[in-house]
Amino acid sequence: MAEEKAKLWSSVGKKALMAVTGLLLVTFVIEHLLGNLLLFTTDPDPFNKYAYTLMSLGKLLIAVELVFLAFFILHMYSGLTVYLSKRKARPDSYRKSGNAGNPSKKTLSSTTMIISGLVLLVFVAIHLKTFKFGPHYTTFVDGVEMRDLYKLVYQTFAQPLYVFWYVLSMVILGLHLRHGVWSAFQSLGLHHHRFTPAIYTFALIFAVVWALGFIAMPIWIFFDPLNVRQDVLNLM
Amino acid sequence: MATKLSLNLQIWRQAGPDKPGKMVDYKLNDVSPDMSFLEMLDVLNDDLLQKGEEPVEFDNDCREGICGMCSLVINGVAHGPQKGTATCQLHMRKFKDGETVTIEPFRAKAFPVVKDLVVDRGAFDRIIAAGGYISINAGGAPDANAIPIPKEYADEAMDAAACIGCGACVAACPNASASLFVSAKISQLALLPQGQPERYRRATSMVAQMDAEGFGDCSNHAECEAVCPKEISIAHIARMKRDYLRSVFK
Amino acid sequence: MKLNAKVPAGPLPQKWDQHKFDLKLVNPANKRKYEIIVVGTGLAGASAGASLAELGYNVKIFCIQDSPRRAHSIAAQGGINAAKNYPNDGDSVWRLFYDTVKGGDYRSREANVYRLAQVSANIIDQCVAQGVPFAREYGGLLDNRSFGGAQVSRTFYARGQTGQQLLLGAYSSLMRQAAIGKVKQFSRREMLELIVVDGQARGIVVRNLMTGELESHVGHAVVLATGGYGNVYYLSTNAKNSNATAAWRCHKKGAYFANPCFTQIHPTCIPVSGHYQSKLTLMSESLRNDGRVWVPKKKGDTRSPEHIPEDERDYYLERKYPSFGNLVPRDVASRNAKAVCDDGHGVGETRLAVYLDFADAIQRMGEHTIKEKYGNLFDMYERITDDNPYKVPMRIYPAVHYTMGGLWVDYNLMSTIPGLFVLGEANFSDHGANRLGASALMQGLADGYFVIPYTIGDYLAKSSFNGVDASHAEVKEAESQVEANTQKLLSINGKKTVTEFHRELGQIMWDYVGMSRDENGLQHALTEIPQLREEFWQNLLIPKDSKTLNKNLEFAGRVADFLELGELMARDALERKESCGGHFREEHQTPEGEAMRDDENFAFVSAWEYAGLNNAPNMHKESLTFENVKLTQRSYK
Repeated sequence: MAEEKAKLWSSVGKKALMAVTGLLLVTFVIEHLLGNLLLFTTDPDPFNKYAYTLMSLGKLLIAVELVFLAFFILHMYSGLTVYLSKRKARPDSYRKSGNAGNPSKKTLSSTTMIISGLVLLVFVAIHLKTFKFGPHYTTFVDGVEMRDLYKLVYQTFAQPLYVFWYVLSMVILGLHLRHGVWSAFQSLGLHHHRFTPAIYTFALIFAVVWALGFIAMPIWIFFDPLNVRQDVLNLM
Repeated sequence: MATKLSLNLQIWRQAGPDKPGKMVDYKLNDVSPDMSFLEMLDVLNDDLLQKGEEPVEFDNDCREGICGMCSLVINGVAHGPQKGTATCQLHMRKFKDGETVTIEPFRAKAFPVVKDLVVDRGAFDRIIAAGGYISINAGGAPDANAIPIPKEYADEAMDAAACIGCGACVAACPNASASLFVSAKISQLALLPQGQPERYRRATSMVAQMDAEGFGDCSNHAECEAVCPKEISIAHIARMKRDYLRSVFK
Repeated sequence: MKLNAKVPAGPLPQKWDQHKFDLKLVNPANKRKYEIIVVGTGLAGASAGASLAELGYNVKIFCIQDSPRRAHSIAAQGGINAAKNYPNDGDSVWRLFYDTVKGGDYRSREANVYRLAQVSANIIDQCVAQGVPFAREYGGLLDNRSFGGAQVSRTFYARGQTGQQLLLGAYSSLMRQAAIGKVKQFSRREMLELIVVDGQARGIVVRNLMTGELESHVGHAVVLATGGYGNVYYLSTNAKNSNATAAWRCHKKGAYFANPCFTQIHPTCIPVSGHYQSKLTLMSESLRNDGRVWVPKKKGDTRSPEHIPEDERDYYLERKYPSFGNLVPRDVASRNAKAVCDDGHGVGETRLAVYLDFADAIQRMGEHTIKEKYGNLFDMYERITDDNPYKVPMRIYPAVHYTMGGLWVDYNLMSTIPGLFVLGEANFSDHGANRLGASALMQGLADGYFVIPYTIGDYLAKSSFNGVDASHAEVKEAESQVEANTQKLLSINGKKTVTEFHRELGQIMWDYVGMSRDENGLQHALTEIPQLREEFWQNLLIPKDSKTLNKNLEFAGRVADFLELGELMARDALERKESCGGHFREEHQTPEGEAMRDDENFAFVSAWEYAGLNNAPNMHKESLTFENVKLTQRSYK
């Protein structure tokens, strides 16, 4: 058992752990964007109902949240140890650094994972504070009282600074996903001479599409082309 | 005959293992484009000797790209700008007249600098000693053709076995990881029937030794593959990881 | 001392088997009481170190590089011969033996060569079991090719990197023993002296190349596997660190040096391009399987090759040797290349090159097939010369490659100093006056895996040893000798670098003790070399710090030894008034210009005994008797 534990924290083990937790966090990201799509409608009800359904899961939701929190912490922890071991492994850095070019996959994305990761940590903290633990507006949908998150979102994304920060964070999420998604497969030993190039390309497309998806929402709300905000906020 | 080059060299000088080091500028004229990079350094050293200065120490031996003794990070890239080429086979025609060329040692904690551009790569021997072999004593082998090995496997094993142990993978890796070197051996032996009995033990013990030596973790930058003089693929790293992870369940 | 080769009696095929039975054994429990020092980690040293440790001996192994894996065996490209007869094309132990004796121009010891052929098959088994990825056919069985003029396909290979793969196999076995402590590994150490106590080789003095410290190591026997001395020519295909110092210092301590003039000039190397040239790169001989060698018929023809029409080309090897054509043995191919260039037909900027043309082969088999067979060699050629050999013919020229001579050893591979065993290229034993392609790897591994493990036991079992430790007077004496030598080098305040001296020596050797030799030239060399040596000791310029990594100091010691060895080579070449194999004396040739042996007077091994720097060495003769092969004039017509 001790040996298994040692293996988990070996260079291969912790990268596998990072990969598994990373891929699971990606499922969260996928789900989150799909949920966000409901914010593009002028009707607040579907989004609020969706949020209400999730929240009404009660203890189950808390369990899922705790599990994701655990993934998040493990992912972060393995990321930090990788970063620290890197610092230790090369205490004296090159006076001139270069890139060897193809087939290298060293990119802005791959070399900034620790930075993008830390930014995302801050982002998640702010995000939870703003929304999950933010002001509690209520609304009635089909006669049921529920939290009006739609309104909170519209209110939040009326602030240019917040939108800017959010968009920036989502660009960084894209960067993180670009290397993270393909790298997870490699870290788990899933390499295939035909599929790996496909996975590498897929990771790029996925990162771009998802980042754009997340970015589109605050921009949409900020510019509010259909003048929804007025209605939503007036209901106060 | 191509024209001679003038170069501004910036070279790492360090008197000994625990001494401080710094980049020192040298100017070298009349460099023939047909010279190898190491011959260019030979000429520089002759100059320095004649001037009563200490020559620049650098490792080299076969000078034909196979022994893995030469190293050097040239303009920030291990083994310099030419793909699939060790420093000793790099020729000056790859450089421009008037160019500034920086030359640094392979930098990693596990490769301590001995002097100037010379580093100690003894960690690689210890990793091989940890399991990079098939346990067979001389004299006990069955007939060589007793076990047929599909050509594709033999070829892929050879791709991995081509590793010259130079350490450029470590030098180039942003994390100073030795994964490409270690996996090349693990993968070679994992692909062959002879390597099966010790396959998972080997993966575990070699990775453990790699970690103990103080190399960093593999973050899949694949910079190693790009600088490898033998162009060994990171597919072998994946095989190492697979075998290692499987060993957890064995 | 009378030379005793200790060749066992009995019919040739049974000699080794009988001998193995007659050799005394060391009890398994006693093996761990013996300490064996192995110097060099090429094929011979690494395989010996691993095998001896597997048997239970304690082994200390030394190498000059930073890792045993980098010894120069690693650069061997073509392959390794073995009498497996897998292709069913008529090979046998006897044929491999016969070819090797004939290829060596009847200047090797029959019994040694037969043993080599016998164990060759075991080598392949051993290497495959270690995981050496030899080339295979689609059926999964090992592939063989014909190599270096052999008429059967007996060469096993791993792309163009056979030496590398075999060495890494031996190295991995060595490392396995290092892990369990049976092998103690000492890298970046250069052997500078042999310690002889009571007439037995008992240890070595080495310099730690990183710190400059001298270290002494004692044991019960010393195994020298330090390779050849081709670097005496400065430009050769040897690695920069390859040197003769360990062997030479043993020679000065009493080990006879045999056949020093037998050097092999490899026909297919990339020509010299300038004064700065530091080494020559070999292009595998296998290229001659498909490439055609030619020069322009017209002297001094400066047209580029594609502008020289077919009928103005001289495919001189095909013309002169219709049955072997481009595949004649190395010495013949080299000599002919030199002859056509000396005659004014050379090509390239220096006029010291001939073409090796693949146009026909590409047309016949397609570029794809050629790429598959020789891709890495073609790439290497292009990296060095900037020419694309798929489009223009390669330019090649002979270069020093291998030295058949070396320390004299008996059938047990023991030198004239009891307890000093010499393996691989460092000894003289198996290749006579010329080595066949793909035989060096075979010999190195045969010596290390399958000969020394038997014969060293016999020596240990039969000898008695006095206790020797680091404080022994002989150890101290050896150390102070080394220290004095180092100080002597450092005390010279001259103006010429080691490289300059080395280059000058190389030029003398190449011009007068090279591919063809004559009395005048050799006499000339014998006056020039001592002069250069004198100048060396007066006018050397080296950095003064001996307590650090100082490559110039290392090289100075080696060049000092080369300056003595070179003289011995010239002397040996002068004394051998015949042409045989790689030793071609202008005075002794057939009317067609082929080497002419003199079996009546020169069927012997010359073994030189050191008699002090200013005294002429003594030559001892081991006469060679051939009971099993008939001596014939080699003909490749």
